[in-house]
Amino acid sequence: MHSLPVDLRVRGVSGTLQLHGRRLASLLVALQLVGLPGLAVAGEKDKPAAKASTDVLLQAMQGELNRAKTDLAKSDPAPYYLSYTVYDQDQIFIAGAYGALLTDTAAVRRSTDVTMRVGTPELDNTHGQSRGSGMTSGSLPLQDDPDATARVLWELTDREYKRAAPAYLNVKTNTAVQAEEEDKSPDFSKEEPKVHVEEKLTAPPFDRKAWEEEIRRVSGAFRKYGEVYYSTVILQVGSSNARMVSSEGAAIETPSASARLVMEAQTRADDGMDLLRVETFQAPAAGGLPKEAELIAKAEKMAADLKALRNAPVAEPYDGPALLSGRAAAVFFHEVLGHRLEGHRQRDEEEGQTFTKKVGQEVLPKFLSVVDDPTLGELNGVKLAGNYSFDNEGTQAQRVTVIEDGVLKNFLMSRMPIKGFDKSNGHGRNQPGLMPTGRQGNLIVSSKQTVPEGQLRQMLIDEAKKQGKPYGLYFDDIQGGFTLTTRSLPQAFQVLPVIVYKVYADGRPDELVRGVDIVGTPLAALTRIITTGDAQHVFNGVCGAESGSVPVSAVAPAMLFSEMEVQKRAHGHDRPPILQAPGADGAAGSDGKAGSAGVKP
Amino acid sequence: VNGFRHKVSFALGLLLLAGTATVLPSSAADGDRSASDAAIEKAREVAKGDVLLEALLTELERSTDHLKMDQVKPPYYIEYRVDDVENLDLEAAYGALLSDQRQRLRVLRVVVRIGDYKQDSFYGQGMGGATIVPLDDDPIALRRQIWLMTDEAYKMAADAYAEKLSSLKQFTADPNPIDDFAKAPVVMKVEPVVAMKLDESEWKQTLQEATNLYRKYPEIQSVSASARFGRVNQYFVNSEGSIVRNGRSNATVTLNGSTQAADGMRLQRNPYWTEERAEDLPKRADLLKETKQMLDTLKALRQAPIVEESYRGPVLFAPDAADDVMAGLIGGNILGRKPQLGRPNRTTGAFATSYKTRILPKFVSVVDDPTIKEFAGKKLIGSYDVDSEGVQSQPVTVVGEGMLENYLVGRQPIRDFPNSNGHGRASPGTAAFPTAGTLIFKSSEAAPAAELTKKLTEMAGAENKAYGYRVDTLGAANAPRLLYRVYASDGHQELVRGAVFNELDVRALRNDLVALGNDPLVSNRAGGVPQTIIAPSLLFDELEVKRADTSKDKLPEYPAPDLKR
Repeated sequence: MHSLPVDLRVRGVSGTLQLHGRRLASLLVALQLVGLPGLAVAGEKDKPAAKASTDVLLQAMQGELNRAKTDLAKSDPAPYYLSYTVYDQDQIFIAGAYGALLTDTAAVRRSTDVTMRVGTPELDNTHGQSRGSGMTSGSLPLQDDPDATARVLWELTDREYKRAAPAYLNVKTNTAVQAEEEDKSPDFSKEEPKVHVEEKLTAPPFDRKAWEEEIRRVSGAFRKYGEVYYSTVILQVGSSNARMVSSEGAAIETPSASARLVMEAQTRADDGMDLLRVETFQAPAAGGLPKEAELIAKAEKMAADLKALRNAPVAEPYDGPALLSGRAAAVFFHEVLGHRLEGHRQRDEEEGQTFTKKVGQEVLPKFLSVVDDPTLGELNGVKLAGNYSFDNEGTQAQRVTVIEDGVLKNFLMSRMPIKGFDKSNGHGRNQPGLMPTGRQGNLIVSSKQTVPEGQLRQMLIDEAKKQGKPYGLYFDDIQGGFTLTTRSLPQAFQVLPVIVYKVYADGRPDELVRGVDIVGTPLAALTRIITTGDAQHVFNGVCGAESGSVPVSAVAPAMLFSEMEVQKRAHGHDRPPILQAPGADGAAGSDGKAGSAGVKP
Repeated sequence: VNGFRHKVSFALGLLLLAGTATVLPSSAADGDRSASDAAIEKAREVAKGDVLLEALLTELERSTDHLKMDQVKPPYYIEYRVDDVENLDLEAAYGALLSDQRQRLRVLRVVVRIGDYKQDSFYGQGMGGATIVPLDDDPIALRRQIWLMTDEAYKMAADAYAEKLSSLKQFTADPNPIDDFAKAPVVMKVEPVVAMKLDESEWKQTLQEATNLYRKYPEIQSVSASARFGRVNQYFVNSEGSIVRNGRSNATVTLNGSTQAADGMRLQRNPYWTEERAEDLPKRADLLKETKQMLDTLKALRQAPIVEESYRGPVLFAPDAADDVMAGLIGGNILGRKPQLGRPNRTTGAFATSYKTRILPKFVSVVDDPTIKEFAGKKLIGSYDVDSEGVQSQPVTVVGEGMLENYLVGRQPIRDFPNSNGHGRASPGTAAFPTAGTLIFKSSEAAPAAELTKKLTEMAGAENKAYGYRVDTLGAANAPRLLYRVYASDGHQELVRGAVFNELDVRALRNDLVALGNDPLVSNRAGGVPQTIIAPSLLFDELEVKRADTSKDKLPEYPAPDLKR
């Protein structure tokens, strides 16, 4: 199996929704997660056609698809496109807190998405607001029972037709009645169907008992910290196999596997501000996750960070120079730029369409280029979470240059065309059960104007001096963010920094501050990048949007901004717990003050 | 049919984990905010060896003694309830297994009350909170979660208390106010925990074989079956000194069949069986027989005539239909639920103002008796010793000679019911709520079923009707699933479809119910809180049966796939 460099650090990034809950809520959410769609870390072997015929399930899918295609062709209105995707998911979920297991489950599921398009590619049932009518999902027999599988597929297909057909008639009426849409692109692009069957992965060995013990021990590392009043360590190990057949002739099988370990720890400052640290590790298999000693060291570091944060002063509203670490810059680009380059947002009339009419124009400083490249498996020895070989619509993944030398070139396209872009570029992604949209895979920002990373801190100080500011801000770590892209709400974004330092112009030591939120409008923020570091950093995570949670990666160098606006974070006012935590060593709060010796970029 | 068939030992049942049950004599709570030292001593002894109970008691004691914020009263009452839940869900369709999921969870619910028994913080977010706690018996890890939830519950109670006092200001003070919380005797009862141990593969095989019968029924569109096995061990402690541990289990198997008549009408059946122990569920051969019967009746329903537009006359409910009627119309309306703040009602629901009035014919009595463990050889899942608020269960006469005598109440008093009668029950993680346990319907003039059928045809004949109606089972919203015409001329029966009852309500029960059978059927109901309804046949002299106003869906767009095997 693949082995990972030990310093791989991954974290949850969120898109339009922030995925972070507490206690029961967060765990119940986690329990329901069916895992990541079966597209990450694809195998290498590609043996088309011949292989397809030996898979009993693929045969059953194909047989039933052909029957439906023939029989439904006689219906009025008739579908012009039908596809079956079957997901096999084998998930183990172990969660621990303070040395004991909270949940320990294993689940095997086989589910299917039946996708149907009625009408014509120019106008079909999925048009506009009725996009949901394009898919019906359900459970399939766990074993390869051809009769039962065909029967369930038939039931779901019939049910889907009974949704899609009236939806199409509705769409036709609405289109006739309503004012003409600005973007008159068809609803579905024409693509060459692909046959691609990857060899199934042999399940890596997983010693559940040993991992249960390890989760107990790692989560137990938080036990001695009375002020870490909430923490969990969650291990999610899954293997998945996605099979897809379509009436156009596509037959694709992509197995995948992933292991994720998420550590969350939370404290509350005396003023009621909740402070959270999250660390996520990701690998193709549990064996690739960091060793126990490293995890425990990470837990200790998180606890130390929280202790320092608890005692740190609250940041004041600020508008001035700022330095973002590579990982922070990566999240920033994912939220501020990446989500706005998703193809479907350019034609949805509810959307703000920040970049829709900016193709060929400069939207970033000239020295920056951005690609989204799902075909990339790793970068500088770090596995990329947004890697896949085929997207959920059966389109081969492609490297897409979205911004070249600051100029907007392209969007992240699913099979939903937009004005000027009539083809998919392999970015149609979804979690099982949801209609695909254009999504990010591996968003990679590269720079031609770089300085050695070590010099950026001095440049920040110089910039602060130049602007007559007492300090600049250094964003070392960001927990995630969200962005609003619709018209009805302000075109804003917010990223949630957790480790932020004031870097003083007069040479005082750096000072950790808490409660900082970066705010602003996307177009303005992006033009204020002065220079970047010379090393690229990877942020792996899970991104949530309309089409569900998908694994993504964002890559960027550290960046110096001439101006960044921050605001005070709104927070609750409940006090920290009244009584001391059971079993914590020593009195809470007795150990040390704010960590003032900041980490240097 | 599947070729492989191996003999598996049917080693399913309840495994007693802990041996001893200790029952200590109850002593009255004095209402002080903490139990006396002696009581704590006693409590510790009772809980000894149970890490979870000990962790609960440790945090309970710590919180009772020290939990206090500036300018906020300390709690006068704290309660912890942990439900240790384990479930196994199996589902099959068309001879194949669709789902196989096991879940285990420990859910803690904490209630912290500020104020006193007369007026407290039990309002809105002050009604407590829930979290999950470790599955491992690790005292520190358990106490971390208990500690944090208690802290949160106390703060929520403080907010709720202030909010409640200010809300009350908009109402005129009640001259005879009802207490917010009833005092209750201390109960110490640590019973053995129950464990789930069953042969999964046997049940998987059974569900697959049952649903594989679809092969012989091309007229039936959908055939599936599911089984749920569950057990809950409940741990309860409160600051009055009660300590309770008990366990229960249940097992349910459900068959589902659905199809359409040639005219598109949807037809459905889903018979189910619930027992305390899986071994008491129908055996494989019986279940196959039941599946065949379900599929046969669906087939018959496809061919059955649709009911006339409207029929008004005598209707006989078989026990399997009567239980649903009684559970909904009586069971749901006899609960002592405190009305909204400021409202003068005694309780809510259809019988809110019916205290000491006649709600059923004079010959009917209704008792809720959770203390009965078995009825006619069948174990009752609605049976329990101590409710979810730590109160000893007791039989309650709800209706005597047709008169509403008592509501079922928990520790939240309502007018004229200042004390719990042991019916505060909760599903895992949720607040306790008045709920029936084992609800038994009886008549002082019970008649054999055959006599009721005879009476039905006689009554129909007397009204110059060719037939009366008999309903065997009901579906959702009390729509009949199996409804027969019983002809007055010769007693022959005819299955019909597409009917609903009109005005099958509490008024009909009071005025139109003319007889009860002597054929009580035990109906165990798993749901969130397990319940048992024991009801006999019901004969109404007049009910309206009318044609359902449902649209007829299109038939499948294309035929089902051919069978390959």
